[in-house]
Amino acid sequence: MKRGDLQISFSWIFAIIAGIFILFLAIYGVGKLMGMQKTQTGLETGKEIGILLNPLETGFETGRTTSLTIPAETRIYNNCFDNEGVFGVQKITISQKSFGEWAIPESGVNFRNKYIFSEEITEGKKFHIFSKPFEFPFKVSDLIYLTTAEKIYCFSGDIPDDIIEELSGLQQENLKTENCPENSINVCFSSEQECDIMVNYNAGIVEKGDEEIYFSGDTLMYAAIFSDTGIYNCQLNRLMQRVKQLSLLYKNKADFISQRGCYSNLNSDLAVLENSAGTFSGNLGSISALAEEIKDKNDMANCKLW
Amino acid sequence: MVKKKIKAKKVKVNLNKKAQLKIQQMAFMLMAVIIFFVLVGMFVLTIRFSGLKKSATLLEEENAMLLVSKLADSPEFSCGESFGTRKANCIDADKAMMLKESIEKYSGFWGVSNIEIRKIYPKSQSEIICDRLNYPNCNIIRLISGEVSGVGVSNFVSLCRKESSEGYNYDKCELAKLVVSYEEK
Repeated sequence: MKRGDLQISFSWIFAIIAGIFILFLAIYGVGKLMGMQKTQTGLETGKEIGILLNPLETGFETGRTTSLTIPAETRIYNNCFDNEGVFGVQKITISQKSFGEWAIPESGVNFRNKYIFSEEITEGKKFHIFSKPFEFPFKVSDLIYLTTAEKIYCFSGDIPDDIIEELSGLQQENLKTENCPENSINVCFSSEQECDIMVNYNAGIVEKGDEEIYFSGDTLMYAAIFSDTGIYNCQLNRLMQRVKQLSLLYKNKADFISQRGCYSNLNSDLAVLENSAGTFSGNLGSISALAEEIKDKNDMANCKLW
Repeated sequence: MVKKKIKAKKVKVNLNKKAQLKIQQMAFMLMAVIIFFVLVGMFVLTIRFSGLKKSATLLEEENAMLLVSKLADSPEFSCGESFGTRKANCIDADKAMMLKESIEKYSGFWGVSNIEIRKIYPKSQSEIICDRLNYPNCNIIRLISGEVSGVGVSNFVSLCRKESSEGYNYDKCELAKLVVSYEEK
């Protein structure tokens, strides 16, 4: 070998290659672990949010409200599947900001007994949650309205008195009926105003841009205001699946208690409701009228079913 | 000359043997290093997953505890206004019996492994699981059949049903415990 040539023995070359390989493996492993940690945190937060919604189940209250503060900037993805199982699925996926970047949402947490009405992605650190029972004609579930504290909803126009009373009673920071700040989302009950969301209360229609969402009752009206059309329609289908099962449950109960001389005479009406809820295709008008009729009959019955 | 050639050959053979030995040493060393890293990785993963199991169990426990306090007000159990005015923490026993018969549809619905309603007052001597034949002369409405596993959390509720005597209907309410069980991970 000539003087001045680089003298690297075979063992050195081998050690360098092996070192690079081991270092690469270690960096890859740490990266994977960090990804797993993010997924785990997202899943835990999602499950935690779902669990914290349990106390929002209402007894004889007309509504409940709570707020949720997460230390990091968070995105809550609301996914609804109305064709999974008997009751469909509510999926919550969480993504948190770390080092200025949003983590890719991977897996979420599924709930079958929750109905969250919100935008598809709700972003912020503080979230407001408000729940209200949905009765059709019996209690079907508590609907949960999830909003970020960053968005302020300003209700104006000819708001019905009971809605004003309810909104002020809730004392939720981002729902206002007066002293609305600029950049708030205008929810109007009169057509002559400039609105982001227009509520035609008597016709049961909420207009958002070019979209029209049909509702029946105050509970579904709030759902239409706070959620995206896709989420609303999907959750409404899931609610009808539950109406179907509850109709069947009450029908069976009516048969069961009639053996002890307790008659309600609602079996045939409940069978019609079960069938209508099972074949629900978005037309709330006829099924709401049927529910109203059944409610009146139950109120008058000798043995009330609910 | 021949002697010199033989000597050079011997030196070459010795060098080859030395190089082979070094490669072997390096290979063994490398295997040891890789095995070491694999072991460290497995150790880290074991610790992480044991923590994951613990937090999963904690979340299950939290779910069961919060659920049990509110489950009686859910539509599948609640009395509503069928026993007079609307009551909180009141379970309609007749409805719960019907729910028991269609419980397979509710699989995974509340995210707990079992739900049981145990009548505690008036007290009875033996434990009788309710079915259509012995109802209401029984004291446990178990919503899933078979033995209950896991950890149970409970809450006191009123358990009401419709009764009739001599052609008259009346409401009968008793004291019960609603037990929600969850599986430890």
